[in-house]
Amino acid sequence: MSSGTLLYDALGPRAGRRVRWFGVVTGAVTLGVLFLVGEKLATEGQLSADKWGPLIDPANPRFSTLWSFLAGGMLNTLIVAVLAIVCAMAFGTAMALLRVTSQPWYRWFVVSVIELLRGIPVVLLIFFLARVLPEIGIEFSTLTFLVMGLALYNGVVIAEIIRGGLQALPRGQKEAAQSLGLSSWHTLRLVLLPQAFRMMLPALIGQLIVVVKETSLGFILSYEELLRRGQIAIQSLHNPLQMFFTIAVIYIVINLGLTLLTRRLERGARKKAPGTPADDKTPAAPLPSPAALPEVRV
Amino acid sequence: MTLFSKGAERTVDTFPAPRGDGETATEQAAALIQLRGVNKHFGPLHVLKDIDLDVAEGEVVVVIGPSGSGKSTLCRAINRLETVDSGTIELGGVPLAVEGKSLASHRADVGMVFQSFNLFAHMTVLENVTLGPIRVRKVPPAKARAQAMELLERVGVGQQAPKLPAQLSGGQQQRVAIARSLAMQPRVLLFDEPTSALDPEMVNEVLDVMTDLAQEGMTMVVVTHEMGFARKAADRVVFMADGAIVEQASPAEFFDNPRTSRAQDFLSKVLSH
Amino acid sequence: MDVILDNFDLFWQGWLRTIQICFFALLGAVPLGILLAAARVSPVPSLRTLAGGWVTVLMSCPLTVVLFFMAFGLPEIGIKGSYFWFGTIGLALYSASFVCEALRSGINAVPTGQAEAARSIGLSFMPSLGLVILPQALRSSLPPLTNAIIYLIKNSAIVGAFGVGHDLFAVADTLTAARGLAALPVLAGVIAGYLLLVLPIGRLLSLIETKVAILR
Repeated sequence: MSSGTLLYDALGPRAGRRVRWFGVVTGAVTLGVLFLVGEKLATEGQLSADKWGPLIDPANPRFSTLWSFLAGGMLNTLIVAVLAIVCAMAFGTAMALLRVTSQPWYRWFVVSVIELLRGIPVVLLIFFLARVLPEIGIEFSTLTFLVMGLALYNGVVIAEIIRGGLQALPRGQKEAAQSLGLSSWHTLRLVLLPQAFRMMLPALIGQLIVVVKETSLGFILSYEELLRRGQIAIQSLHNPLQMFFTIAVIYIVINLGLTLLTRRLERGARKKAPGTPADDKTPAAPLPSPAALPEVRV
Repeated sequence: MTLFSKGAERTVDTFPAPRGDGETATEQAAALIQLRGVNKHFGPLHVLKDIDLDVAEGEVVVVIGPSGSGKSTLCRAINRLETVDSGTIELGGVPLAVEGKSLASHRADVGMVFQSFNLFAHMTVLENVTLGPIRVRKVPPAKARAQAMELLERVGVGQQAPKLPAQLSGGQQQRVAIARSLAMQPRVLLFDEPTSALDPEMVNEVLDVMTDLAQEGMTMVVVTHEMGFARKAADRVVFMADGAIVEQASPAEFFDNPRTSRAQDFLSKVLSH
Repeated sequence: MDVILDNFDLFWQGWLRTIQICFFALLGAVPLGILLAAARVSPVPSLRTLAGGWVTVLMSCPLTVVLFFMAFGLPEIGIKGSYFWFGTIGLALYSASFVCEALRSGINAVPTGQAEAARSIGLSFMPSLGLVILPQALRSSLPPLTNAIIYLIKNSAIVGAFGVGHDLFAVADTLTAARGLAALPVLAGVIAGYLLLVLPIGRLLSLIETKVAILR
């Protein structure tokens, strides 16, 4: 309801003029930079039909071959992402339950496993699985190694998200369930977990964005996801700048779609967050923006 | 001893009156706060409708009305925490500045006590009270601390000086907030529903401090739902509904013989228990 | 254990190289993140849009794509450099968005009432920013900032995987692939190297955090 914001007062005429002036300068500088970049690209021959044709011109003879090749890569990317997020959810839920129900004498072990898996760079984890498991006679496809690595790493992140959700639930939920005579397992499964999931849904989708991005690590195993296929295509098309630009756009479009979905869910979750009456003056605490928090604290 | 020193007692070397030079006797006799034709919209909502209001030096004006009537907005507009679309707001005959240093010095002269206290969470109680005097009034720190301690003692929270706001009860925090405003030696104090966020048992400790202030002659504009305080401490009650001032009168007159049906309706609802 | 001791020199060099990458990337990411955050909360709409777009794009794009674009795309327009610098700058650009969002979430965590109270006692823009808002915002930023820094350190392994050479990840690759050593002990050593960076930094920052936490 305030005219000002946290950082600055409602703008007076003098401040308003200054803001407009800054706006004009920003716009001019941006246009200037874009112009210079465009000119540089043109003089280096990077805007030629030769380089862009296969990517954007349907009349180009290579257009359909290239795009069906890239579409296959996209499909592989989505397969890895979906498998990884499903496995990660299962593993993460199991780890979260293990952690919240653990007895003190082995809790340290569960916590250590979670902390260890979270401390390792995910690329190293994938690499580790692909190099170490064959050594002890366990051979899988690159797809499996990739999914395993992503699922383990993102699983523990999800475990912490779910644990956070469980802790954030009002005490009354548990007490009410127990006073109905539900066992502690039923309390967890029927009352607490579903609410924790719903509350954490935006964060979980946010994690899906992270997984989509991390599928591109498949290149170290030469798994043919989108990025790897782009690389392969470059070898015959010789257009790395254009190709990587296009691939970046594809990832950005996919992830922006997911981000928009997260925002919508976040708004929904805020409306019916448990324990907060609808007419409460203070809005429910904003859920952590999934994009801003790639993982929970180490 | 009084809780505050009035403008006249303000020693020039400590607190240079910000615009003492231009003031003439006739201007001082006029209203300290003067609102003329003030309008404000929030989108399609007309929250302040042609508000005219005068508050004389030393007067205590209590603004009451149903929620959503625009009384908080009115209070905040006097400090320009809310901008207005049209109309004029003057303090001591000087129009309210709209930005920059002159707005800051206007706000230094107008104390504000919020519903949610808004004590600076990272500072101790003492630091909260001394921040303004040291940074804005340029009072030497030692002197500012001594004055702050004196104020904290008077509002009954001297013991809490080294604590952080979160360690205090709501009532204590609000009393600190009053002390913080008083430390600036304001010409007028605005209260925006100061007791609405308090547990019932803490309301009186805050109202007592406010009543003392009122009796000592502080100029006050108080937005509140505390009818008892309005009856006891107000010089004038202003009743607002739907963004307009519907009725204003002395407390006795207003509570015993409300003239408008809106006011009668409102009073029957809040006084029925 | 022998594998690690025999090749301790290589591990040590790799560790130092990883620290180098992280140090230079942080050196770029933190100031850039501060600039982006300042732009995102500024009253200038075009500046907000620009910084918001930058952050959204870099957060939606995999680091690998950023790195490939830098290392294989930029030389096409005549910008040449070593993989080390392409990798480190790419990591810095990528991580700056996370630093920006960490700072912004800290700023957003400060209740508006704090600023209103600061204005009400007559503090003008700079003092209320410096004395009331930023001290609180920075403290609330610390946990997400810690995450951003740890994320950067872990991402430095991607920079290594993509071929900067001679960092911890490269050590793992060299020893297991080229020299044919057993993968388990080598990778255990490399993982220990990363944990040695990540865990103390996490602990240190959470220690600072509990010291400066604001009660509300």
